[in-house]
Amino acid sequence: MAKIIIDSQEIECRDGVTALQAAIEAGWDVPHYCYHPGLSVVASCRLCLMEMKMPHPQTKEMGWAPKLLPSCQTPAREGMEIRFNTEKVKKNQENCMEFFLLNHPLDCPVCDQAGECHLQDYSYKFGKAESRMVDQKLKNPKKDIGPRTLLYSDRCVMCTRCVRFTQEVSGTHELSIVNRGSRVEIDVFPGLPLDNPLQGNVVDICPVGCLLDKDFLFQRRVWELKRGESVCPGCARGCSISIDHVDEKVYRLKPRFNPKVNDWWMCDEGRFGYEYIHDKKRISSPLVRRGLEQTTPNWEDVPAVLRYRFEQFVKAQGGAKVVAVLSPFMANEEAWLLAKFIRDVAPEASLAIGPVPYEGDDQIFPAKASGDGIKFTILKEKAPNRKGIESLLESLGGSTLTCEQFVEKAGAGEFMAAWVVGGYPKPWVDKDTAKLAGKFDLLVAQDIFENEFTTKADIVLPACAWAEREGSFTNADGLSQPFHWAIVPPDGARRDGQYLFEIAGETGLFSAARVREMMAASVPNLSQVYESQRKPAHAH
Amino acid sequence: MAAFEPVLLRNRGVEGSTTLKVYESRGGYQAVRKALKQTPDEIVAEVKKANLRGRGGAGFPAGVKWGFLPKDRKKTLLCVNGDESEPPTFCNRVLMEHDPHQLIEGTIIAAYAVQAQTVYIYLRGEFHEQFHIVQKAVDQAYAAGYLGKKIFGSDFSIEMYLHRGAGAYVCGEETGLIESLEGKRGWPRIKPPFPAIEGAFRLPTVVNNVETLSCVPHIIERGADWFTGIGPAHSAGPKLFCISGPVKRPGCYEGAMDITVRELIEREDMGGGMIDGKHVKAVFPGGCSMGILSADELDMKLDFDDPRNFGLLGLGTAAAVVIPHDMDMRVVLRNMARFYGTESCGQCTQCREGTAWMHKIATRIAADAGRPEDLDVLLETARNMGMMPGLSICGLPDGATFPIETTVKKFRSELEEYILAQPKGRAEYLLRVLN
Amino acid sequence: MSWKAIDRNQPVIEKDAAPVLSEAVREKIRSFFPRYETKRAVLLPALHIVQNTLGYISWQAMAEIAEILEIHPADVMNTTSFYTHFWTHPKGEKVVTVCRSISCEAMGGAKMLDTIKKELGIDEHGTTKDGRYSLVTEECLAGCDHAPCLLINEKMHKCVKAEDIPTLLADVDNNKLSMPRSDLFDPPSEKQAASATMQDSVVGTTSDVSEMREAE
Ligand SMILES: Cc1cc2nc3c(=O)[nH]c(=O)nc-3n(C[C@H](O)[C@H](O)[C@H](O)COP(=O)(O)O)c2cc1C
Ligand code: SF4
Ligand code: SF4
Ligand code: SF4
Ligand code: FES
Ligand code: FES
Repeated sequence: MAKIIIDSQEIECRDGVTALQAAIEAGWDVPHYCYHPGLSVVASCRLCLMEMKMPHPQTKEMGWAPKLLPSCQTPAREGMEIRFNTEKVKKNQENCMEFFLLNHPLDCPVCDQAGECHLQDYSYKFGKAESRMVDQKLKNPKKDIGPRTLLYSDRCVMCTRCVRFTQEVSGTHELSIVNRGSRVEIDVFPGLPLDNPLQGNVVDICPVGCLLDKDFLFQRRVWELKRGESVCPGCARGCSISIDHVDEKVYRLKPRFNPKVNDWWMCDEGRFGYEYIHDKKRISSPLVRRGLEQTTPNWEDVPAVLRYRFEQFVKAQGGAKVVAVLSPFMANEEAWLLAKFIRDVAPEASLAIGPVPYEGDDQIFPAKASGDGIKFTILKEKAPNRKGIESLLESLGGSTLTCEQFVEKAGAGEFMAAWVVGGYPKPWVDKDTAKLAGKFDLLVAQDIFENEFTTKADIVLPACAWAEREGSFTNADGLSQPFHWAIVPPDGARRDGQYLFEIAGETGLFSAARVREMMAASVPNLSQVYESQRKPAHAH
Repeated sequence: MAAFEPVLLRNRGVEGSTTLKVYESRGGYQAVRKALKQTPDEIVAEVKKANLRGRGGAGFPAGVKWGFLPKDRKKTLLCVNGDESEPPTFCNRVLMEHDPHQLIEGTIIAAYAVQAQTVYIYLRGEFHEQFHIVQKAVDQAYAAGYLGKKIFGSDFSIEMYLHRGAGAYVCGEETGLIESLEGKRGWPRIKPPFPAIEGAFRLPTVVNNVETLSCVPHIIERGADWFTGIGPAHSAGPKLFCISGPVKRPGCYEGAMDITVRELIEREDMGGGMIDGKHVKAVFPGGCSMGILSADELDMKLDFDDPRNFGLLGLGTAAAVVIPHDMDMRVVLRNMARFYGTESCGQCTQCREGTAWMHKIATRIAADAGRPEDLDVLLETARNMGMMPGLSICGLPDGATFPIETTVKKFRSELEEYILAQPKGRAEYLLRVLN
Repeated sequence: MSWKAIDRNQPVIEKDAAPVLSEAVREKIRSFFPRYETKRAVLLPALHIVQNTLGYISWQAMAEIAEILEIHPADVMNTTSFYTHFWTHPKGEKVVTVCRSISCEAMGGAKMLDTIKKELGIDEHGTTKDGRYSLVTEECLAGCDHAPCLLINEKMHKCVKAEDIPTLLADVDNNKLSMPRSDLFDPPSEKQAASATMQDSVVGTTSDVSEMREAE
């Protein structure tokens, strides 16, 4: 901790940060474009300039230096005194804003970024009302620079954040600067578009509406969107994300700053992997089968039906023939509730983990980096919570099975009653697994899409997408992180947590935090979660 | 006034002055032999004592710069700044054309002083003949064993490479040069770290101007005291002055830094006065970036300090161009604005946008479509950029501030007259056509 | 306002196109590697060599240079576009580079430029129909003592008067240097191509040192 003085106020800041970062974290809205805490410092936008006290070159007496200094380039040192509230600083901000808008087309009414554009915000806050330029504006073209991304050059402020991202984080170098002087533009080499697995981040870090996501283009005005805090279920990394949604529809996912996991970034696979949420083919209501007869029970009756069925079974066949297959897509809390129910009706019941999908290899960015040089990793383990489920099984003890053991034993007919949870965004039942579906006298399938289990099950429960649920996932490094629901489940469905809560014999409203309290005794290591601090709104 | 005994230009005009043979026959490559017998620190100390101030524009003492290198460095680089792109400067060109071995000798001594085993001579892309001359000289020096492994039989080895630019003024700025050397666009870097700590390829790097290095052999040979004995104390040593424009003898002349602009223009052994009955309206005395002098300011001394008393940025490259009485100041203004507008590297907001905007305004004024308020916009914009107020990364926009500001201030009445004499409504008409 | 965007997804280099850089050119570029700490630093020499060989730097040439230097083609494009000397489309056999800076302007540079434009029938950045001349303007060529001046390829022409322009442009040798040249940045000669591998022994110093040693 260092103490520094900003605008005559003493504040404490973290060690090793720049003056700009210190000021932002302490609540100062200092305008800045080129600085991004995840990228190298270039100090080229010259918007963040400050005044600083320095020793006089001859007399060594401390006084305000006549020069402005870039706060993004100056480290915050113990005792340093800086100020932003002076005419000189404000004059520079005003001039910069005039300069930025000299060639800007002023097309904010049709711009996607409007509402979160730091050109608009800054010129409103720091600029002056009108431009004195009467001459012709430079007109730069719009470019389609990749399968997902557009670049509207004439809105660019040349902060080079996007270029530095492809050089320093993704290491893929697709974006480059062309020309010089007032003709500089951002571009890609024709035929080598921006298509790296992290490219979506450049749209996030572009402070203006220059880089745009085609997916989101003209979809919604930003200010209509609501923001839910969540964790990406795309892989075992568990990036912190926010879910931007309105009218129960998800419009986009954005990374949320998390120094322990993803810093400021997320991958495209995670970012665009949410479409299945709005798939019309989702299972949306519970179903009970008796012979050829199918009924849709009232949710209120579901707990009693399940308990009755399992109790009957245990009475007839014994508890050892019961198994629950917990999916790595379940939250820890949900898995715990289900385990609690199963062990309640059948203490000897087995608990198994469902299949964990793997795709390819872990991907490291930049490609050949090692150690601290690694800026981002996408894991091949394409489920958010294997670690949590395994850890839960270990803590609960009793008969616990790996997925392979379950497949083997179930194949050998050792289980007659099963509760199988899916919830995978992609089809997960392969040919061999499918054969198991017919092996049970009592089968409960909890899933999001139809498959061999749900078509054969005695009872089908709709599973919800993670954006509709709450709970916590434990990532590959063993870090448990909470996620919150952003939208409501489809008509007829209920949150998994809610019905499992009731099935487990609890009453009232499900809350993940409450369940974690209940879990504390039996699974202490999963009852603690880590949530990264929110960035101040003016940090970007 | 006693004629100045040329030092840097002493071989100019000598038949075959670019060859090793002639250079050596006139006493060349003795200083380096002497230097190699001393320790590097002794040489740095001698150059410090001589107060050899950089000739590239900033006037920073070379010895002091060399002293900034970290003590525990492993590899050091020396870059010779031969990007000479500041209009109207050509003294480095003259040095390379007439005495490339003097530069090579000075460079070897400097390299030995800073223990740099690799030297890059950065030549601007427009230097073709000069490239061939210097390259030939370097080849000769290699062949003679003056470059390469264990030079002059000492333990010191040195490789010298020519690196050619490709048309960018900003690559003369030392960190722009370094980026260009690394194969990148010449976008100057932020400082700190200064090149002496982390320069090209992240190695400690010294960048010196051609003329600065050409002085070095003479300091070693004749001693620091001899050097400081030339000219005023704060501006010691021989200096090359360029004079161009409508004078009788445009060219590069050597002298002590005690002459005035008027002398440079009028002396018989220098500019020789104006041609064709023209007279002086204005002078850019130190490269255009330093700003302009009006006809009644010609008594400014061409040393490192006096230019500031005339509202100029500094001595710069000590290259003067005379603007004759019959030249339209709007054209001068446009020429200046265009230069910085097209040469700004485009990195810093104020410089990128400001220089381009000034170019637009100045072009419009010169096209008879100025508005009286344009001059104030120019003045204000010129002040809203530059490294001195802390508003940009490199000094290029300071170089734009001064010529624009001094031209508008010192020649405001002329510019206003032109604007008022425009046909009524022309500015408004043109603006409508433009937009 | 137009919403049409330039499509950058489309390749500009034909698939399976034959390489534009010969092995000799590649070898010449590689011969610069020992001079620098990084391969990337060879980019400027490479661009000079390629432009001197092909006349300009095509997209494909950029991609091939990138491959030799082990960088992304976008980085080659980045650097190429910064410098005014590099042409990304074909230019004339001779490039007339006219100084437009202050000394030359004071000495009648504008008139000189206008005459050249009229004489060649092209504007700045234009190339004559017969492909003989291209015309560009540049800032100060550091020849202000001979203002106004211009370059025709490598050759500097000094104190050029407007009335001399027709004769100057008609002169077939107006681009010839009357001095020994160094071929460091030139396209590799036949001899070099034949002994491409021998280059290694030569670099580290310069291209023709060994020849000089033999001569002396
Ligand atoms: C825009 C700009 C252009 C410059 N161009 C040159 C140049 O062409 N040649 C040069 O020697 N120095 C030039 N300089 C100065 C260099 O940055 C640097 O100060 C100089 O090379 C140091 O050498 P010296 O100490 O020997 O003078 C330029 C500086 C700026 C800001
Ligand atoms: S496109 Fe956006 S991020 Fe990239 S330089 Fe321009 S403003 Fe910055
Ligand atoms: S790395 Fe994994 S967790 Fe992070 S965004 Fe991508 S898929 Fe989601
Ligand atoms: S001041 Fe101008 S030339 Fe210098 S780095 Fe900034 S934009 Fe480039
Ligand atoms: S200069 Fe500090 S944020 Fe750009
Ligand atoms: S001004 Fe034309 S060569 Fe210098």
